Formats: sequence, C-alpha cells, structure tokens
Amino acid sequence: MAGITFKNVVKTYDNGVTVVPDLNLEIKDKEFVVLVGPSGCGKSTTLRMIAGLESITDGELYIGDQLMNAVAPKNRNIAMVFQNYALYPHLSVYKNMTFALELAKVPKDEMKKKVQWAAEILGLEPYLDRKPKALSGGQRQRVALGRAMVRDPEVFLLDEPLSNLDAKLRTEMRSQISKLHKRLGTTFVYVTHDQTEAMTMGDRICVMKDGIVQQFDTPQNLYDHPCNLFVAGFIGSPQMNFIDAQVKKAGAGYALCFGDTEIAVDKPELAPYEGKTVVLGVRPEDLHAEPQFFGKNNVINAYIDLDEMMGAESYLYLEYAGQKMIARVPARYAKKAEENIELAIDVETIHLFDKETEKAI
Amino acid sequence: MDKKPSHARTVIAYIVLILLTFLCLFFFYILIVNATRSHPQIQKGFSFIPGHSFMKNLKSVLNDANIPVLSGIKNSLIVSSLSAVLATYFSALTAYGLYAYDFKLKKPAFVFIMLILVMPTQVSAMGFINLITKMGMLNTLYPLFLPSIAAPAVFYFMYSYMQSSLPLELVEAARIDGSSEFHTFNRVVIPIMKPALAVQAIFAFVSSWNNYFIPALVISDNSKKTLPILIAALRSADFLKFDMGKVYMLITIAIVPIIIVYIALSKYIVAGVALGGVKE
Ligand SMILES: Nc1ncnc2c1ncn2[C@@H]1O[C@H](COP(=O)(O)OP(=O)(O)OP(=O)(O)O)[C@@H](O)[C@H]1O
Ligand SMILES: [Mg+2]
Repeated sequence: MAGITFKNVVKTYDNGVTVVPDLNLEIKDKEFVVLVGPSGCGKSTTLRMIAGLESITDGELYIGDQLMNAVAPKNRNIAMVFQNYALYPHLSVYKNMTFALELAKVPKDEMKKKVQWAAEILGLEPYLDRKPKALSGGQRQRVALGRAMVRDPEVFLLDEPLSNLDAKLRTEMRSQISKLHKRLGTTFVYVTHDQTEAMTMGDRICVMKDGIVQQFDTPQNLYDHPCNLFVAGFIGSPQMNFIDAQVKKAGAGYALCFGDTEIAVDKPELAPYEGKTVVLGVRPEDLHAEPQFFGKNNVINAYIDLDEMMGAESYLYLEYAGQKMIARVPARYAKKAEENIELAIDVETIHLFDKETEKAI
Repeated sequence: MDKKPSHARTVIAYIVLILLTFLCLFFFYILIVNATRSHPQIQKGFSFIPGHSFMKNLKSVLNDANIPVLSGIKNSLIVSSLSAVLATYFSALTAYGLYAYDFKLKKPAFVFIMLILVMPTQVSAMGFINLITKMGMLNTLYPLFLPSIAAPAVFYFMYSYMQSSLPLELVEAARIDGSSEFHTFNRVVIPIMKPALAVQAIFAFVSSWNNYFIPALVISDNSKKTLPILIAALRSADFLKFDMGKVYMLITIAIVPIIIVYIALSKYIVAGVALGGVKE
C-alpha cells in the first residue's frame, strides 16, 4: 500500500519564495501519475518533497497511511531518477546500479541477475564496466533509470527520465517504463515536458502552473474536458485554437459570432453570456477540410499563412477575421500557403471559456 | 585558430624549462654527492664527482648512539603519516558538514575557522605547551599529530574543491539509495575528493616531516625525537666531532620518504574525477 497524499502542503524556499502555495493531491496505490506544466512550475519541487530531499514548510505528506514529513529519504523506500542523472562518477555502471542493493544486503548473485535484467532492457550491457565519464548523455540517462529499476521501492519517482534520448529510443523506453510499471505494480510519479509521454503513459495527469494544480484527471478527460484555458492550451499539440466570439441569441439556442461566421450552438449554459464575448476553443484536428463535415453555418474561409507538410497530414497556419489559427488536415485535402481554404468547425467538439475567469463554461 | 608555436619559441621554452629543472635538481644532486664524500673532501669545496665514503658516512650515522636515526625515521613516519591522514580526513569532513548541510550557525562557524587560519602557530605555542602539559602529553608523540585534526587551511581547500566538484545531487542520490550520511561521506564524497585529498596529504606530510618548532618544544626523550631535531642536533655538535659527510648523509636519508610519498600520491592528482556524474 503506497498511495501518496498531499494535504495542504506548502513549500517556501529559504529565500522566501513560495513555490507551492497549497497542494492537495491524492495519488492512488499502483497508479502511474504524470506531472506536467511549464518550466519552473514546481514539478521537481513536488517530486523532491515526496522523496524527502526538500523539507515541507507546512501541511502533511503521507505515503501509504504513514505521515512522512519528518522521515529521512533513506527510510522512505523510494527510487528516483534525477533530472540531471546524478550518477556516482567514481563507480562503474555496474557499481552505480548495485550501490543501493549492496546497502540493502542483497545477495551477490541476485544482484547480478537484477543488473543483467535491467541492462538488457536498457541496452546497457556493453557498458557495465565503464565509468559515467565515458558514456554519452543518453547512455547516462539510461544508467540513471537502471539504478532505480533494480530496486523494489514502494514509490518510483522519475524526473524527465527520457529528455536526452533520441526519438526512437524514447519511444522504446516509454513502452519499457509502462511495462515496468505493470510488472512492478508500484506507484509511479513521472515528471515530463513531453505531451506524448504524458498522454500515453499516465493513468492520470496532473497539470500544474505556478505550483497550483490546474486539473488532475485521466488523459482522455483532460483532452476532452479541459477545465480552463491553461489546461486546454497546454494539452494537445499543436495547441488548441482560441477565438474570441460574441454570444447572440438565435432562435431557441445561441450563436457564436466571429468574422462573418455565426455558429449555432445549443448550450443553455451560455445564457449569462448573452451579448458578451467568450473564448471559443477549437482543436486543430476539429477544423475539417473534408466535405462531409460542411454544414449550414459552420464553415470559415481562411487565408493560409504557412503550411507544414508532415506526411500523412498537413499543419495549416491560418488567419481568419484577424485571428490566428492552426488546422491539422489530411494531406490530400490541404492547400498551399497564400491560398484560401474552406474549413468546417465540428460543433460537437468545441470548447467554451469565460474570458475573465478563463474557466470552462 | 591558434598558430602553431614557432620553432624558436619551442627552443626557448625548452631552454627555460631545462634551466628550471636544473636549478631544482642541482641541490639534490649536490646533497647526494656530498653524502658520499668525507668531511675533509667536503671542506675542500664542492665537486660534481661522487666520493667513496658512502658506506662510511652511512655507518657513522647509524652507529651514533646520540643520534638514534632509525627510531627518528620511525617517529617521523608515524607523526607525518598520521598528520596527513587526520588533516585531510577531518578537514574534508568539516568542509562537507558546512557544504552539504544547512544549519543556523553555518556562517559564524565558517568565519571562526577562517579566523584560526590567520593565527600563526608561534603565537599560540605557549598556550599549547601549557595545555598538553596539563593533559600529560608532554614528551609524547600525540601533540605532534593530534592538532592536525583542526587544519583550517586544508579545510578551506576542501571546501573550495567541493564547491567546484561535488554536486549535491550525488549526495541526494545516495540518500535515496538508502545510504546513511556517514556512509555517503566515506563511499561517495571521499572518492570524489581524491585529488584534493592527495594534494593536501602531500602538503601535510611534508610540513609535518619538516616541522622542527613544535617537536623541539615538546620532545625531550632521545628515543622520541623526530628527524629534524636529530639533524639539528648533529649540526650543532661540537667542533671536534663535527662531520659534514655525516650531516649530508642524514639529510639524504630524511628526504627519501618524502620522495616516496610524493610519487605514491601524485597519481591521484588528476583533474576531473567528478566528471560526467551530473548533467551541467
Ligand atoms: N533551492 C531553491 N531555492 C529557491 N528557489 C528555488 C530552489 N529550487 C527551485 N527554486 C524555484 O522553484 C521554482 C520551481 O522549481 P522546480 O525545479 O520545481 O521547477 P520544475 O517545474 O521542475 O521546472 P523544469 O521543468 O524546468 O525542471 C522555480 O521558480 C525555481 O526557481
Ligand atoms: Mg524540474
């Protein structure tokens, strides 16, 4: 049993800066939780508080049902992959991996088996006798991962463990880590900048900004129902388009007006916004060039500033009614830059946000 | 793009280096040559050619009952080795304490140690002698190496070295791996500090080996005397018994261990042990 619970946790550094103002988070046992957020938002700080490397200014941290505030890192039974590797420079790769095992008095042959197992998964077998100095950045990162893998901790903490790997290796390691999680059945907390990593690996994703949890939900929910503008803009790549639109009464429902488009939406929640401006969020993949999506009042005729051909699909950087947008359309429906294109907005998938509070409507 | 050094510049560089090497080694050579010559030969002036009195000088040094050379070497070795070990280990420990931990009196502690650094030994010598007399350590070897535990200069060197070469993430990684603080120090910090330890061990060894002032004040038993006192005693021997060959022989014997220690430790003085541990 090793869920992790933050109760009103505050972290203020010695220089008086409060990085985490009030953190409430409940990570379940065996869950794979991904922390994402812009640089400097307090992801590493949160992770380090779980590890015990950073003192907790106020509030309570539980691992399982044990209060951890005053427990030393070495007694927390956690493994951690550091953002900057933190390999022991004087020890070989093998010794780096067995450092913790030796302390835990694991028998020699079992130790060897474990290292062999980890080295095989990580592709580190040829390097076991080398010192970290003689490894590339990606290899070092894998050693850091291996050092955590060979242990059987209650909680696994990973701080951007794949940031230095090339695309192919990264995809491979991603699935290896997911497998490892299933195999070990321990709680994982994983920090990343990478959208794909967050979406594919996490059971739940915690989106942070300035030390405040914006939304903590499953990847699908984050994508389909972002709770505010920040989450909507942060999850998804390319980013969601935000369009300022006027709300007008139109028959039984409402219409969103921008440029010379009026999109009819049937949302009673819009009542208080009648006559005001809201933010309309449309994901680039919900702007369709395929004819079957064209309806009565959902088509915009946009000018293409720039087009990026990605192979199967094309990213179009558009300008419409003085607002910039991105569309992601199948390559065969795409047009070239400096042309105009007709795109249909899928009304079912739009998101609406209050312009003042930035919250979802 | 830097230019290839011109031929002339290389030649000049070599000449200067050869000259410097010569200056450094010349005195050693004269010392060794003189150790092989007899007293009258030495008095005639110096020569580059070794004499034939090596064995005679050696015998007269070893057989002089007033100058117990062998026990002198033993005492000097004990005192210098322990000084080197204590000074480096405990200074590293102190530096680590101030470097890796945050506590209230950290700044005052640092300032205090720096103040001791500027205090010359001679100033505190009288108090020191008083103290060890009261502790019953007068005329023992303890006062010659125990004070090395508090070596502010070595501490400062260690502290600077840690700042440049010991990322705290390594310490954190060790903690997470389940290592106790002391184990971390011995197994992670000390190996990374090896070059600094080697440099300071050499310095501490040499300065303790050459130390005359404190041993002269503390030691009175012949059997506990260290080499510098014996050399001084030999040189101040009365005119009739004065033998330059013997003095040179003793000095030659005295520098051999230093050379051995230097060669043994110098292989650890390599830059960048900590390289590659963390991403910069
Ligand atoms: N020891 C410290 N003292 C003071 N402020 C700190 C300290 N460590 C981090 N901070 C500040 O705390 C904030 C959060 O840092 P943190 O390392 O948690 O960010 P992060 O989300 O991990 O960012 P990144 O994605 O760039 O790694 C930053 O603004 C940083 O400047
Ligand atoms: Mg970070």
